[in-house]
Amino acid sequence: MFNFFKKLSKNGQSKDTAKKRLQITLLYDKLEVSKDILDDLNRDIVEVISRYFEIDKNALTLDFRKANDERMSALVVNTPILGSKQKSRLA
Amino acid sequence: MEGRVIVITSGKGGVGKTTATANIGAGLAVEGNRVVVIDMDIGLRNLDVVMGLENRIVFTVVDAVKGRCKIKQAVIKNRKIDNLYLIPASQSDNKDALTPEGVIKLCENLRKEFDFVLIDCPAGIEQGFVNSVSAADEAIVVCTPEVTSIRDADRVIGLLYSRGITPKLLINRIVPEMVAKGDMLSHRDVVEVLSIELVGLVPMDDQVVICTNNGVPLVTQKESKAGEAFWRVAMRINGHSNLPIEVPKGNRSFWDKIGFKLRKK
Repeated sequence: MFNFFKKLSKNGQSKDTAKKRLQITLLYDKLEVSKDILDDLNRDIVEVISRYFEIDKNALTLDFRKANDERMSALVVNTPILGSKQKSRLA
Repeated sequence: MEGRVIVITSGKGGVGKTTATANIGAGLAVEGNRVVVIDMDIGLRNLDVVMGLENRIVFTVVDAVKGRCKIKQAVIKNRKIDNLYLIPASQSDNKDALTPEGVIKLCENLRKEFDFVLIDCPAGIEQGFVNSVSAADEAIVVCTPEVTSIRDADRVIGLLYSRGITPKLLINRIVPEMVAKGDMLSHRDVVEVLSIELVGLVPMDDQVVICTNNGVPLVTQKESKAGEAFWRVAMRINGHSNLPIEVPKGNRSFWDKIGFKLRKK
C-alpha cells in the first residue's frame, strides 16, 4: 500500500529528465557548442537588440529547435519588447 | 532483379544488432526470399553462434573478399531454415583486413544471387563501419530506449545521411511496464529526439537469451513477443510497408491495473 501512495505522489518521471538531457547533448554534439559559447551568444544578442529596442534583458531566451527540415537546427530568440528606442536615437 | 543490400548498424555495442540481423534474415527467408547475412565484425564474430552455425565455418568473409576462396565456398547454408545463408566473419584476421572496395565488389556479386543481403555491422564508427556501410543501399539503425544508445544512434544516423542513405529505426528491448511508469523513454520520445522513420518496436523478451543459448531463430518461436516483432519488421522490409507497427504491451498485474486507473483520474 505504501508503494501505491509513493507511485501516486511521484511527479518527476525519469524519462522526462532523460529526454531533456538527450536533446541538449545531441545539440551540443552536433553544433559543437558549449554552455559558455551560448552564454556569450546570449550576451551579444541582448546587446544588439538593445540598440534598437527597450528589452527586458533577463527575459530573453535562446532556444534551439528542430527546423522543419528534419536534420537542421533552428535558433529561436524570444524576447518581450518593452518599447522603441527610435525617439532617444533621434534626440 | 537484383537484390537489396541492407546494413544493420547502431554505433553502440550490445543493443541487439546481431540478434536483429539473424531474425530479420530468418523472417525474410521464411517469407520465401533468398537471404544471405554477412558478419562484418572481423575478430569478434558472433552471428555464427546466434544462428547455430559455429561448427560449420571453413572460409570467411575476408577469404571471399581477398579471393582466397570462391564466394560460394564462404557461404554456409542454414539447414533449419530454407533459403537462409551466412557468410561468417574471420576470427584471426586484422580488423583492417577489408576495404570498402572489396566489400562493395562482394555485395555486387551477392545481389545477383540473393534477394536480400543483410550486413551485420560492428559497433563503433571506424573502418568496420565504413566497410559495412559503403556497400549498402539501405540501413536499419538499432537502438534501445536508453540515453547512451540514442546518442550513439544519432551520430550514426548523421553519418548515414552524409553518405546519402536515409536510415530507419528499430527500437529494441522496450519494457512496456517501465514506459507506462514514465521511467523509460517511449518510442514517441525516441522518434521525436532522433526525427527518423520507424521500422519496428521490439519488446524485452527472455526468449532472446534462450534462443541464443540454443542457436535457433526467435521468429520461429510462436510464443516469443520479440520474435513476433522481428517477424513484422521483416514483413515490412519485404514490401508490406503498411503493416502497422505494434507498440509492445506489458502483462500488467491486477493491482497495477487498479493503480493505473486511479492515477488516470
